[in-house]
This record gives sequence, C-alpha cells and structure tokens, in this order.
Amino acid sequence: MHKSLLLYFATIFIFLYLPIGVLVLNSFNLNRYGMHWDGFTLQWFSAMVRNHGLMEAARNSLLVALSSASLATFIGALGAVGMYLYRFKGQQILKGTLLSMLMIPDIILAIAFLVLFILLGVSLGFWSLLLAHITFCLPFAVMTVFARLQGFDPFLLDAARDLGASESQVLSRIVLPLLRPALLASWLLSFTLSLDDVIVSSFVTGPSFDVLPLKIFSMVKVGVKPEVNALATLMIGVSIVFVIISQSLIKEKKR
Amino acid sequence: MKNKVQLFSISLISGWVMLFGGAPLLLLLITSFLKQHPEKFYQFSFSVQSYFQLIDPAYLDIFLRSVRLAGLTMLFCLIFGYPFAWFTGRLQQHFRAAMLIMLMIPFWTNSLVRTYAVRMILGTHGLLNKALLAVGITESPIRFMYTDSAVVLGLIYLMLPFMILPLYANIEKFDYRLVEAARDLGAGPLQTFSSVVFPLTLPGILAGCIMVFVPTMGLFYVATLLGGARNLLVGNLIQHQFLVSHNWPLGSAMSVILILMMAAMLALYWLVLRRFSARGQVYHA
Amino acid sequence: MTSKIMTVFTFAILVLQPFSGAAAEKVYVYNWTEYIPEAVLEQFTEETGIKVIYTTYDSNETMYAKLKLIQGEGYDLVFPSTYFVSKMSREGMLQPIDQALIPNMKELDPSVMDKPFDPGNRYSVPYMWGSTGIAVNTDVIPVKNVTSWKDLWNKEYKDQLLLQDDMREVFHMALKIKGYSSNSRTPREIEEAYQLLKELMPNVLLFNSDSPRLPYLAGEVNVGMIWNGEAWMAQQENPAIAYVYPSEGANFWADSFVIPAGAKNRENAHKFINFMLRPDIAKICVEENGFATPVLKALPLLSEDVRKSETIFPPAAIVKAGEFQTDVGDALPVYQMYWEKLRSGN
Repeated sequence: MHKSLLLYFATIFIFLYLPIGVLVLNSFNLNRYGMHWDGFTLQWFSAMVRNHGLMEAARNSLLVALSSASLATFIGALGAVGMYLYRFKGQQILKGTLLSMLMIPDIILAIAFLVLFILLGVSLGFWSLLLAHITFCLPFAVMTVFARLQGFDPFLLDAARDLGASESQVLSRIVLPLLRPALLASWLLSFTLSLDDVIVSSFVTGPSFDVLPLKIFSMVKVGVKPEVNALATLMIGVSIVFVIISQSLIKEKKR
Repeated sequence: MKNKVQLFSISLISGWVMLFGGAPLLLLLITSFLKQHPEKFYQFSFSVQSYFQLIDPAYLDIFLRSVRLAGLTMLFCLIFGYPFAWFTGRLQQHFRAAMLIMLMIPFWTNSLVRTYAVRMILGTHGLLNKALLAVGITESPIRFMYTDSAVVLGLIYLMLPFMILPLYANIEKFDYRLVEAARDLGAGPLQTFSSVVFPLTLPGILAGCIMVFVPTMGLFYVATLLGGARNLLVGNLIQHQFLVSHNWPLGSAMSVILILMMAAMLALYWLVLRRFSARGQVYHA
Repeated sequence: MTSKIMTVFTFAILVLQPFSGAAAEKVYVYNWTEYIPEAVLEQFTEETGIKVIYTTYDSNETMYAKLKLIQGEGYDLVFPSTYFVSKMSREGMLQPIDQALIPNMKELDPSVMDKPFDPGNRYSVPYMWGSTGIAVNTDVIPVKNVTSWKDLWNKEYKDQLLLQDDMREVFHMALKIKGYSSNSRTPREIEEAYQLLKELMPNVLLFNSDSPRLPYLAGEVNVGMIWNGEAWMAQQENPAIAYVYPSEGANFWADSFVIPAGAKNRENAHKFINFMLRPDIAKICVEENGFATPVLKALPLLSEDVRKSETIFPPAAIVKAGEFQTDVGDALPVYQMYWEKLRSGN
C-alpha cells in the first residue's frame, strides 16, 4: 500500500514537472530546437535580455500585475471588511454578483470589458488593462479576506469600541493586524492571476502596451523560441525564491 | 466617523462591481439583441437573429464538443486529484505544506509557456515519441498533436490544482475517526468510501469540478496551440466572432448562452449542497 | 510587515514607470508574422534612432478587427493584402501616402504600381508579392502524386492537410477547380466552391497562417498549402520539402504598406517605408523571407540561388496560369459567411 502510494505521488509530480523540466533543461541547451543535448550554454539568457520587445512586455506586465494586485487587494479588503462589519441594502446582491464573477469564463469577461471600453471611449492600453485586471482579481481578493474575517471573534471589535476606540482605530489597530495573512494571500493570488492572464489581456490591450503573455503567445505560435525557455526558467527560479521567502516569514512568525 | 468608513468601503466596492462587473455584462446582453453590421460590428436595431443563428447544428456541435472536452478534463482531474488531496490531508502538518507548495510551483510559470512545453513533449519528434520509439512500443512516430486527446491533456495539465485545492480544503476538515468508526462497524473499504467519505467530501468535489469546468470552456489558447482544424472550443468560436467574423451580436449571444449554462451548473451545485446539508442535519439529530 | 511590503511595491512601481513612458521617437508596426527580418528592424533603429514597436497578426481579418477596435489610433503601419487595401480605404480607415517623403518609390517595378485596388497608389505602397501553392514533403509523398489543387481532395490524405488560415486563399483552390475566377463576385459560384471545400474538410488537420512551414518541418504534416516564401525558408532547413505550382493555377497576392487614418507617427512611418524599399534592405528581406520584391534595383544584388529560384520568382508561364488576387467588392461578406461556416465545421 505504501509503495503504490509513493508511486502515485511520483507519477503526479512527474506529470506536473516533466514539461517544465524539459523547458528548464532546454534553456541551457546549445541545440536551438531542443531535440537533443548539444552542450551547456547561457546564450539564450543573453538573447532574452537583448530582446527589447520581450523585456518591455515583461516590464509592462510586472507594472500591471503590481498595481492591479495592490489596488484589488485594497478595494477587496475594504469591501470585505465593510460587508462583514455592517448590514446594508443590496448586500446579498453584491455578494451574489461577486460570486458570479468568479464563475464567468475569462473569455466572456474579456469581451464584456471590450464592449464597455469601446462604448466609454477608454483607449485600449495601460488603463483599460489595469481596470480589467483589478476587476477580475477583485472577487478573489474579497473572498480570501472575507474567509479570514469569518474566523474572527466579533466581540473583540465591540470590546474595542466600548473602550472608546474610534471606527478608524478599530480598523487600523485590530482588523488590519488580524488580516495580514489574508492580505498577503490575496495580493499574491491577484498578482499571479494578473501576470498569467492571456485571455482578458488579448482583448483589452492596445498596440502601445504589449504584455508578456501576449508577447509569448505570438512567439510560441511560430515555433521553438529558446528565449522563451530562458524566460520560463527565470520565472520558475523567481517563484521558488518567493516561496522560500514566504515560508521563512511564516516560520518566523510562528516563533 | 463610523458612517464615513462604512460609506467609503461599501460604496467603493459596490460602485466598482456595478461599473466594471454588472455594466459590461449588461452591455453584452444588449449587444446580443442587436443586428450585425459588416463595417461597424453591430448596429442599433433590435433583433433576435443571433439567437436563431445559434440553433445552427454546427454551433451546437462545437458547444457539445466543448462540454464533452471540459467534462473529460474535469473527470480526469477528479480521478487524479482526489487521491492526491485525500492522502495529502492525511499527512503530517509540515509535509502537507510541502506537498501543496510542490503542487503550486509549476503554476507560477506562465500557463502559455506550460502549454507550449506540453507541445514540445507531444510533437512527432517530441520526447514522448522518442521514448516510445526507443522502447520499441511503436515503429513509427505517433501523432498526438492536433487531436482532442492533446487538448484534454493540455487542459488537465493546466487545471489540476484547481481541482485539488478545493478538494483539499474540504478533506482537511474531514474527521478521520468517521472512517475508523465505519470500519469498526464492519464496513468494507468500498462501502466506507461510498457511504461515509464520498458524501462528506461531496461539497469539495463539486467545488473542484466547477472550478475546473468553467474556465476550461473558455481557454481558447490551449485549443489553438494543441488542437487542429476541428478541435475548436466555445472559446475559440467566441473569439472568432469578435476578431475574424466581426459579428459582435452573434459572439455576444454565444456568451449569454454560455453564462446561462454556468448559471444552471451553479444552481445544480446549490441544490445538491442544500439537500446534502439537510441530510447532514438528520445525521446529527 | 505589511507596511514594509507596501513600501517595496510602491518603490517598484515608481522604478518601472519611466520605462513605459519614455518619449523616444517611435513607429508602431503591425505586420504579418515573420514578414520582416529582426536584423532589418534593428538596422532601422540604428540608422534613424526611431524605435520600432513590432506586433504581429495572422490574418487580414484580425488586423482589420484590431484596427477598428482601437479606432485606427496606435498603429502607424500595417500590411493588408490588396483587397483589404480597397476595403479599408473605402471605409476611411487609411490616410493618403505622401509620395514626396518616399523617394525610393520611384524605383519600384511599374507593373505592380497603380493597380485597380488603389489607383495611383494614393493609400498604399507595395511591399512584397508572392504565391500560394502546395508543399510536399518528398521523403514521405512522391511529388508526382500532388500536381494539382484537386489532388488534395484525395481520400488518402484524411487528417493530413495543412491549409492556410486565409479565406481568399482557401476559396481560390475550389474556385479554380470549378473553373471560375478566384476573384469571383457571383454568390452562386462562391457557394459551389464552399460545397467543394466542405468535402475537403475531413482531410484538413490544421489551419495555420502564422508560419505554415513549421508543421512541415516538425513532420506533423507532409502535404498541404503553403506560401512560396515559407516554402523557401523550409527548404533551407529540409530540402525534401518541395513547392508545387498547381496545374489549375497558383494564387498570386501582394501586400502593401498602408498608414491607418489615426496614426500618430506619420513621418516615421514614411521613413520606415522608404527604408524598407532601399535595394540593400529589400535584398535582405527577399533572402530571409523568400518572397519577391518590387524593388527592381535589389534584384541584381541577390545571390545566384535566390535570383534563380522558381519558388521565389516564378517563370512567366506560371504567373500567367495563376490568378492575381484582387478586390471582390460587395462579395466579401458572402465569402466571409461561407468561411465562417467552413471553419465552424458546417
């Protein structure tokens, strides 16, 4: 039983890691087509850095992901707190709309945004992209923060109010510290979603603002691109570093 | 002061959701009832022609094929993902975290890049064919690319964690003593699973299935990169209406139908969940 | 901790900002996939200091839709085929070319200038022309088996063919087999062609007009349609890939530089066109892309095997047997309707 279980986990992890393993290996492979191993090289990394289009798209993507993750977390967390603390008309409708936004395929959101932006006359580029990305990250942010709030003891807030804390003091001294892990989780989730989005971006961005997924899409459609392998390797490396940092942060906290 | 905080927090999110969530979807609905225009994508006159166009068997075919492919993806994700979630839930705390991180790391890589990696493995001269040729299972390379199977494989690869995470969240809360109790009462492994484990993890299963099924219907780039001339998904069809055929009303009508489908699934989910929780209360009593 | 993180991000955003908003001279080029060698773009930037922002499309329809979406603003240069030049100029999507800014235009082959799709070259300047024919991997399929468009209908090729993802080119095959003009405006003829193409669909494995040579090179397909230039590029890597001019006649087309009505960098766009029409640059484009150029002075510069290649420069008899793609006017929506049906498997 134990052995077959091990085998099962191994199979799953091979399935998950084989394709990206091939990518990583090929990013150091002298053979352009990755058909066989011709020797170690770093030339694809320098080719990647020299590819201005790719680098600019990467910067643009990072900019959009950083801003939309921060804003979505801000709006979402504030909204979640509001929905948790207060009762108001239309609360159920708001909740329902947020939930249904989670359930709508990206392609539909994408064209709906497109129709809206065209009608409003928002030109397609950074701003349209930012608005769209904040919007599709928002439900995730609200849900993450709300889930954390539900584990709260509401008497804590009443106690603070009874002791004379103002509403903003309640927020900044009690709610905010308690929400930190959820805020971080929400930010990371939004950041990943934004950075990885192909479908919405392909509809709502314009010529002046190319983003990474679209650039990669147009590159991989025309075959094997070693620069893309190098970029993927870099991204995997960065994400592993991220994971290690966040793990050590959590451990530190436990101590 | 309280009112200010309240007003700000609530009106900000309500306003945002209305303007960027509700309004676009409403516009989509309106567009689906307009007429096509060869130069301006649509013209302002009421028409239901798009919905009649949708009755076309060809479109129906693509809808059904998408449902089938998304369903297959969902099923395979469940089959492969359920044991993963279950056994991870049984592990010690810090092993659990390690497993989940191991699961998530590949998903920090761009999904397009990963789809493209799958393509490198499935190609006629790809890794898989090389391995098969070397072992002698096949004489000449097999064509995996440009088939439904390639598309489903790519989709499973992208969607697996979306099945595992909700499942795990549910299973983590599962009280393992119930299994021991069932075994003590003489239930076999199969019976324990079917009458204890399965019903109690059903919410997780359903949540996972929805999390996989919904996005899958729209993931057009997987079909573009791995599928061929006849492996289109609904997503490709909608994209085609907007970017190639310039028929916004038809594309919008397709989207409206797709949303209705999702709503039906969601309704089913709530229904099952409610019945399930009602039964759960009976158990408690 | 949160505040520290926020500081870092704010900082990151501030650092990232200047890069996206740099005010250097730019030209936004929106072109077919792999239609200008990267080295040429770099040389242009080096010589003029103008940065080229280069994005690509894979069909006239996509380009047209994108251009409409952004209301013509944003792109400074696009490369429609002939019939889209007329469609776009009719709809007011283009701005007139200032021929005084493009001295190299005088050196172009007169036989490709002043065509009915754009009388007097008011809106367009020819970039390259080429043909669509058949590619065969002769290692797998004897080249004598495929000499005509009709041969692609052979039941043996079930799930084997690559077709261009291009409406007019695909309809060209069927119209030619039926003995009609491939610029037919008669709905009945177009419908007949559609019926014939429907019979072809079971043979079709994939549509590709990004870089059709790649599936041939990867061994995924061994027979199907291809552009001559892509066939030329494929032959450089695998000489077994043959380019066949079908007996019913190949499809000839041309793509032109046009400047969208809302283009912001009008002057840079003109500079770019003039640069591309320089003989030494045109030479690089021909040798890399395998399409023919209207820049006459580039021809003597070409290496022998390029100049003599019948794939790139077809003999007069083959050009005569083929048909040049032109505007189809009101019939375009008819084509579009049947194309949509074909693609969605109807």
